[in-house]
Amino acid sequence: TALADSGVGVDLWIANKLDPSAGSHSQPRNARGTTWLRPGESRTPTGFLYMCPAESPEIVAGGDWQTHGSIEFGYLGAGGDTRNAIWQRYSDWSNDGLVIGLFDFHAARPSDGSYVDVRGSYLSEHNNYLKGVIGRAGSYKIEAFTRSTPNVLSGNARSIWNGVGTNNLTLVDGLVPGASTPAQVAAVSAAAPERSLQVNRDKQGLGLSYFFDRRWTGYANFTNETREGARPFGGPFFFNFAFADNGGVYETPRPIEDSTINTNLGLRFAGNVWRADIGYSGSFYRSARTGFTYEVPFSLWNVVGGPPSASAQLTSGQFSSEPDNDYHNLRATLTRALPMNGQFSLTASTATMRQNDDLLAPTNCTGTFGIDLVGNGQVGPNNPFLYSCANWNTTDALSRKTADMRIDTDLFDARFVLQPTNALTWRGGLRFYREDYRNTYLAYNPLTGEYGYVAENGSQGSVVPGESGIWNPVTGASIVTRVMSLPLDTQNTEANAGFDWRLSSTNTLGATVIFTRNEPEHRERRKIDDTSVKLNWMNRGIDWLTLRANYVYLRRDGDTYNYDPYEFTFSESLPGFVEPEGGIPAHTVDALRKYDMASRDQNKVDLMATLAPRDDMTLSASVRADWNDYDATLGRQKLDTMGFTLQWEWQPSPLTNASVFVGFDRSKLGIANVNETGMTSDPSLGGSTYTEAGRWWVDDTQRNRSLGAN
Amino acid sequence: FAASAILLVFPVASAQQTKSDLERMLPPTNLSGDGPVEAHARVAPGFAYASIPANPAAPEAKPTGEAICTACHALENDHFSHTIHALGLRAAAQGDPAAPVCEACHGAGSAHAQDPMQKGLIIGFTQGSGTPKKVQTETCLTCHQGGARDHWLGSVHQRNDLSCSDCHNPMGKFSPEGSMARASINETCSTCHRDIRAQFDRRSHMPLPEGQMTCADCHNPHGSLTNPLLKTNTVNETCTQCHAEKRGPFLFEHAPVRGSCLNCHTPHGSNQASLLVAPTPFLCQQCHSHLRHPNDLQMPGSLANGPNPDERLMGRSCITCHAQIHGSNNPSGPRLHK
Repeated sequence: TALADSGVGVDLWIANKLDPSAGSHSQPRNARGTTWLRPGESRTPTGFLYMCPAESPEIVAGGDWQTHGSIEFGYLGAGGDTRNAIWQRYSDWSNDGLVIGLFDFHAARPSDGSYVDVRGSYLSEHNNYLKGVIGRAGSYKIEAFTRSTPNVLSGNARSIWNGVGTNNLTLVDGLVPGASTPAQVAAVSAAAPERSLQVNRDKQGLGLSYFFDRRWTGYANFTNETREGARPFGGPFFFNFAFADNGGVYETPRPIEDSTINTNLGLRFAGNVWRADIGYSGSFYRSARTGFTYEVPFSLWNVVGGPPSASAQLTSGQFSSEPDNDYHNLRATLTRALPMNGQFSLTASTATMRQNDDLLAPTNCTGTFGIDLVGNGQVGPNNPFLYSCANWNTTDALSRKTADMRIDTDLFDARFVLQPTNALTWRGGLRFYREDYRNTYLAYNPLTGEYGYVAENGSQGSVVPGESGIWNPVTGASIVTRVMSLPLDTQNTEANAGFDWRLSSTNTLGATVIFTRNEPEHRERRKIDDTSVKLNWMNRGIDWLTLRANYVYLRRDGDTYNYDPYEFTFSESLPGFVEPEGGIPAHTVDALRKYDMASRDQNKVDLMATLAPRDDMTLSASVRADWNDYDATLGRQKLDTMGFTLQWEWQPSPLTNASVFVGFDRSKLGIANVNETGMTSDPSLGGSTYTEAGRWWVDDTQRNRSLGAN
Repeated sequence: FAASAILLVFPVASAQQTKSDLERMLPPTNLSGDGPVEAHARVAPGFAYASIPANPAAPEAKPTGEAICTACHALENDHFSHTIHALGLRAAAQGDPAAPVCEACHGAGSAHAQDPMQKGLIIGFTQGSGTPKKVQTETCLTCHQGGARDHWLGSVHQRNDLSCSDCHNPMGKFSPEGSMARASINETCSTCHRDIRAQFDRRSHMPLPEGQMTCADCHNPHGSLTNPLLKTNTVNETCTQCHAEKRGPFLFEHAPVRGSCLNCHTPHGSNQASLLVAPTPFLCQQCHSHLRHPNDLQMPGSLANGPNPDERLMGRSCITCHAQIHGSNNPSGPRLHK
C-alpha cells in the first residue's frame, strides 16, 4: 500500500456509510461458488466460512489494457428527525438528491503488471472521496486521494451569538453583555433558529511505494488535512451553583479552522537473515486562530455584599486555541534471524514534539476587575482585591511571550523469539521509554511583580475576594494559587518473558510474564510497578471446534502514594509566601487515589469458540470478563465488565448467506468520594475538612444489548 | 585533461568487470545473509522475485506450471485472475516462463497432481487442507516478510495460532484493497472481535461503521512494539495521528492526558459523549476532590429542570468551565479554563 499500510500511517480505507465495504457487498455473487474440487475446504484455518466470490467483471480489452468499471447512483432522501446529530455524525445526510454511491474503474496491463484503479463517491459536499492508484506489480505504486468527512456535533444548536464559525462571537439583539438575566438568555435562546454545528475534515494525500529489488523497498507519504467549522464548547465565566445571580451555564460554538500536514518516509530491507525498517514520521499542526472571544451575557455580583463589582467591564470570555506544534519521529528497527528458527529485533526511536506559539495576554478585559472593597474604584495597596486590566491585558504581563514548550521521547525495544523445536517457542523482551520535558513556564507578571494568573478571565476574583488567582508579595502573600506549569517527565521500563508449548498438533499452551515499572515525575507516585501473568490455550482437538482461552492477572503496586505532589507549582513554594492563619488549606483529601496511579488487582478472562455444526454453517461465541479492584478508599474502587457475543452464519448456497448476531455487555464502575464540609488545613478523611458525614458512593452501571441480522 | 583521463580509465575497468564478477567480489554473506541477488531478478516484470516455497509434506514435488493447475482448477482461476497477485505473478511468468504463478504460494504441484485427494501434498490455506499453519505463514512471508510484518513472530495473533489466511484471501477479489478475506478490513477483524465491533454501535464511536477508517489505522494486526498491537510507540502517538491539535505540549498540562488518552477515553465506542469511559462529573470525581470546589454527589435534582440546577451537572458538566480539558495554552489556563 502506498499511502499507508498496516505498519505505518492512517487512511487505509476510504468508503461511506452507504457501503462501508466500498463496493464489495454490492457485487453479485458467483453462483458457481469457490471450488468444486475441494468440497468442505471453504473455511479459514480458524473455522470461519470464507466469503463467496463475486461474479467476474466484464473485461473490456483495448490494446494491452483490460478495463472494467461500475457506477452506483440513486436518489437519497431522509425523513423524520434528520437533524439528529447521532444520525448525521459522520455521514451528513442533510442534502436530499442525487448521490453517487460508488464509481470505480480498473485497468490492468497483464504484460508488465501495470494497473490503474480509481474509486470515488459523492454523497454530499462534506461526504465524498476520490482515490486513484497507479502502479506496476512488484515495481511501484503511486496513490492519491482527496476525501471530505463530516463530523456533525449538534443538529439542534441555538446560538445566542452572531458570528458562529468566527473567532469573535457577539451577542444577538436582545441580550446585553454582562447585564442579561438567565430568563432573558433562555428566551432569546428559545427563539433562535436551530442549526447544525459540525466540523468538516478535508484531506488530500499522495503516497509512493517503490520496490528497488526484492530486498529493498521505500515509501514516502504526504497528507494535508484541514478542519473547518464550529463545535460545542464550554464557556461560562462564572458559575452560580454556589453564588446565586452569578453567571450561568451555557455552551459556546467554538470555531475550528486548522490544518495538519503528516508525512511518513521510510526504507525497508528484508533479507532472509537481516531485516531493517527505518522510518521518519513528521506531523505539523497549524491553527488559523490563536483563540476566540465571546460576549458573556450574564452579570457578576460579589459575595461580600459591597457595591456591585466592576462586572460591567467583564463582558468578554476568551479561550486560547491549541498551539501550532511540530512533531518529528525517527525510528529504526533491525532484525536478525537466529538459530533455532528464532529472531532478534532491536528498535530505537527518538521523537520530539514542540510548540512555540505566541501567548495571549492573561485577560482581555478593560478597566478593572476584582472587588472594589474600598468603593473608590482606585487600584492600589489599600484596595487589594481590585486589579487594573491594563496590568494584565497585554503580553507585557507575561514572563515570556511565547510558549516554548517541548517534549523529547526515546524508545529502545529489544526482543527475541526462539523455536528450539516445533513444539516450543521461547520469547523475551526489554523495553525502555522516556519522555523528557524541556521547559517550564513561570507565571510571573513583570509589570506588577505578582505571580499567578487571572482566574476565569477576571470573573472569579470579581465574585470572591482573594480568588483572583494572583499572588502579591505585599497585599496577598497568603493567597494560594498556581504559579508554574507542571512538567510531566516519565519513564517506563518493561521486561517480559514467555513460552508457547505445542502439546500436540491440536493443543497449544502459552504463558507470559510481564513486569513494567513506570516512573513519573511530579505525580502522586514516583514508581508504579505492574506485574502480570498471561496464560493462553488454543485447542483444535475436535474437527468442528476451535477454542481459544486467555487469562490475565495483573497486580499494580508502587511506592508511597503522595496525595498532593503539586505543591511546588503553587504560590506556597514562592519565597515571601506567608502561611495563612490556620495553615494552608488542604488541596485535596489524603485518602483519594487517582485511578491511573492507584494500586489494583485485575483478572481478565477471554474465551472464544468457533464451531462448524454443518458444512454451510458457523457458530461463534465469545465471553469476556474483566474485574478490577482498586486499593482506594476514595476514588475509583472497582471497574468490572462482562460480556458475551454469539454469531450464527449460514451459507446454504453461493448466492445466499445469512447471519444473526447477539451481544450483551455490562460494566459496573464503583466510585467513592467526599464533599468538604469545612475549609481547614486538615487533609485527612474524617477530619475537620472532609468529615465522615460528607462521604458518598456511587455505582455507574451500563448495559449494552446488540442484535443484528443480515 | 584530468576529466578526460578519468573517462578513459573508467570504461576500461568497467569493461573488464561483468555483473557476475561484481557478485563474486561480494563477501560470502552480504547484508541480507542470503547470498547475491540473482542476476535475472530485474529482467522479468511483475513479481519476478517470487520463488516456489518448500512444502515439508511433499519434499520431492516438482513444479508443474500454471497450465497444469488451471486444467483442473478453472473456477479458482476465474476468481484469482482479478487479483493483484495474479497480475504480478503472471506478468513475471510472461517475462520468464520459469517464474511460478500458482506454485508461488502453493508450492510445487507434481505430487498433488499425481494424488489430488491426498491432503498436504499441496500447500493449502484452509481449515482441513492438511498444511500446518506455520508452513502457511512461512509461505506468505517468503515474499511478505519484513516491514509491517516485522514483529509477526511472537505477536499475539501468531501465538494464538492464526494464519495469514484467517484474514486474507488472495484467491479472489473479496475487498477493494488489502486482499482481505472479508469485504473490508473492519469486517475481517470483527469476524473474531465481534464484541469490539459492537462497541462501535454505541452513542459515540470512531467512524468505522461509516467506512471512514479501519481498525488497521491504529492497530497493526501483524505485530508491533506494543501489547495492543498499536502502530506507533505509544497510545498518545496513535491518537495524535489524527488529533494533532491535542499533541501540545501545552503550557498547562492535564497530567492523565499526557499519561494516556485512554485514562479518560475508550478507543472504540462509548455510551458517553466523546468516547468517555464514564459519565461526567463522575469521570472527573474519580480523581478530584478539591477544596474550594465542593465535590458534591450530583443527583437528578441538579439537572436544569430540577429544584437545584447546578452547572457541575448541567451542560457539559465539569468541562463547561474546565473546557480546555486536554491542556491549556493560555497564561491564565492552569485550571484548564482558558
